[in-house]
Amino acid sequence: MSALEPTTPSALQRAGWAWRSYALTLPALLLLVAVIGYPLLTIVLRSLSEPQWGLQNYAWFFGAPVNLTVLQRTFTISAWVTVVCVLCAYPYAYLMTAVGPRVRLVLVLCVLIPFWVSGVVRTLSWVILLQDSGVINSLLRSAGFDGVRLIRTQTGVVIGMAQVLLPFMILPLYSVMKGIDLRLVQAARSLGARPSRAFFTVYLPLSLPGVYAGAIIVFILALGFYITPALLGGPRSTMLSTLVQTQVLSLLQWGRGGAMGVVLLIATFVLLALAAPVMRSRYRDAGRR
Amino acid sequence: MLKPRYGIGAVLALGVLTGAAFAQDKPVAGGVKEGSLEGKTLTFVSYGGIYQDGQTAALKEFVDKSGVKLLNDGPTEIAKLQAQVESGNVTWDVVDTDDLPPYVYCGKLFQKLDLTKLDVSKIPEGQVGECSVPAMNYGVVLMYNKEKYKDNPPKSWADFFDTEKFPGVRGIDGSGSPTGGLLEQAFKYAGGDPRSMTVADIDKAIDVVRKLGPDTIFWKTGAESQQLAESGEADMLMMWTGRAMTAVKNGAKYAPAWQDWLVVMDQMTIPVGVKDTDAAYALLNAYLGKNAQEILTEKTSYTPINSEAQPKVDASVAAFLTNTPERQKQGYKQNFKFWVPNFAVAQEKWSALMAGN
Repeated sequence: MSALEPTTPSALQRAGWAWRSYALTLPALLLLVAVIGYPLLTIVLRSLSEPQWGLQNYAWFFGAPVNLTVLQRTFTISAWVTVVCVLCAYPYAYLMTAVGPRVRLVLVLCVLIPFWVSGVVRTLSWVILLQDSGVINSLLRSAGFDGVRLIRTQTGVVIGMAQVLLPFMILPLYSVMKGIDLRLVQAARSLGARPSRAFFTVYLPLSLPGVYAGAIIVFILALGFYITPALLGGPRSTMLSTLVQTQVLSLLQWGRGGAMGVVLLIATFVLLALAAPVMRSRYRDAGRR
Repeated sequence: MLKPRYGIGAVLALGVLTGAAFAQDKPVAGGVKEGSLEGKTLTFVSYGGIYQDGQTAALKEFVDKSGVKLLNDGPTEIAKLQAQVESGNVTWDVVDTDDLPPYVYCGKLFQKLDLTKLDVSKIPEGQVGECSVPAMNYGVVLMYNKEKYKDNPPKSWADFFDTEKFPGVRGIDGSGSPTGGLLEQAFKYAGGDPRSMTVADIDKAIDVVRKLGPDTIFWKTGAESQQLAESGEADMLMMWTGRAMTAVKNGAKYAPAWQDWLVVMDQMTIPVGVKDTDAAYALLNAYLGKNAQEILTEKTSYTPINSEAQPKVDASVAAFLTNTPERQKQGYKQNFKFWVPNFAVAQEKWSALMAGN
């Protein structure tokens, strides 16, 4: 017993470690409070206090049909972007786990290089590709097809946003996938499972945590997009951030702009709260299988 | 017994003061006192790009002579200015703004100008506001695709709104705020009289724009409008003259329909609460000068606001300057008195249109 004692920390020691590890998070916490907490608090306060105390800004928000249409559209577009990102990122991330280190490096670079280029530049290159007289339509026409309207449509916005957000999907997916023991799939196969069965009952559930992590990041980032929908979209793909911009920058209605931000934030929380139980049960299932 | 003497003293002092003020300070546009702002710093705020570079070049003589240190900042955002004014820490000394803000926020965000400190005698008529002088002039002009309309080109905004007689894709300024002049033209097309427009008529005007159909392109930036002309994606475009000029120079097969081109200007303002108002006035006065305005036009191709300015520009630029007698006759001035109090309503309705509603 006494030989074991030094390796078993006392409750007091454990508490000390816990405090110290909390202390290590202090810089991050302070930064978050300073750059997120305080501005957020200001936004909430101004949404309730300008021009006078009360809920007038929220009443205005829910009283104007355009706000509700655009709020709904913002969620729809973000959901589509998330779906497109999952579909594109999944095979890509899988490939990253399956190839040798050199090819993997190339694949990682392909993800990261666009990530280092400014969003505005990438969006403008999408303009060149998507516009009516752009690269895609020229190719279509020279191949004998009719051109398609891509720019100033929701499709165009979704394509552009998905490209900008793709790394946020691929990287979490890859980090989960590379931890999956491929021998589990082999085991399933050796027990007689068809490849599709082995994938759907073994591999896919194990990779779901990565899908969820990536999807949440992409979805939330997409909700706040401004430049891409502004440049690639038309009136029917205007997102909430554009309306916030109009309220604050051209009408100086900080209160209304704040209220719009708060509504978006709360709607996001509600949606995540609804999705959380589903995700949690999937995590459990994945563990059990 | 003492009173009269005090009175005489005061009158004498006043006389001396005003006399001195007149003797040394009757401002002349473009005039700069040597070394007058040595050791001082002014922050000039505008919209960046070629435009602000041109303005800086126009102010070079002022900087060199007065000894002021000129800082550039931007782009102009009224919300940022509001935050500065409200917090009592105004770091923007002279601000270039759009048409309307100095009228909408006159006295609140922008100082009422003391015209004894400025020489506004060379500014085109009707352009000096209570809180602003013009920064330059330009126009919003209807540009059409020459190849599309050939012998039967659109001639006016009425043709622009008539999609039956003139089929084709329209491009409209969707960069943010509504253009009052365009809405007035739309209202006229709907059968109304723009000079007696009411708030309810804003809807009628916006409906005319909405009826142009789902093909209509609302361009977000001047560069985009130029690109739409150069690629030929829009058949008729509402364009800023500077961008129209560049597009044509770059080979866009577009021509202007000058009838009722919309007169627009940028404004020069001094925010409420700047630290050195007199230095800001000195900058404005230098900016209004003949030389400064010539340099501005030569660098930016915007129309000068000093009527004596004779900028040396080539024919392609001259074709889009708006200060010739002919253009002055064709120009259409928006009804400021109507838009200033109704700016917020119009913006609200315009934003809804922009958001697809």
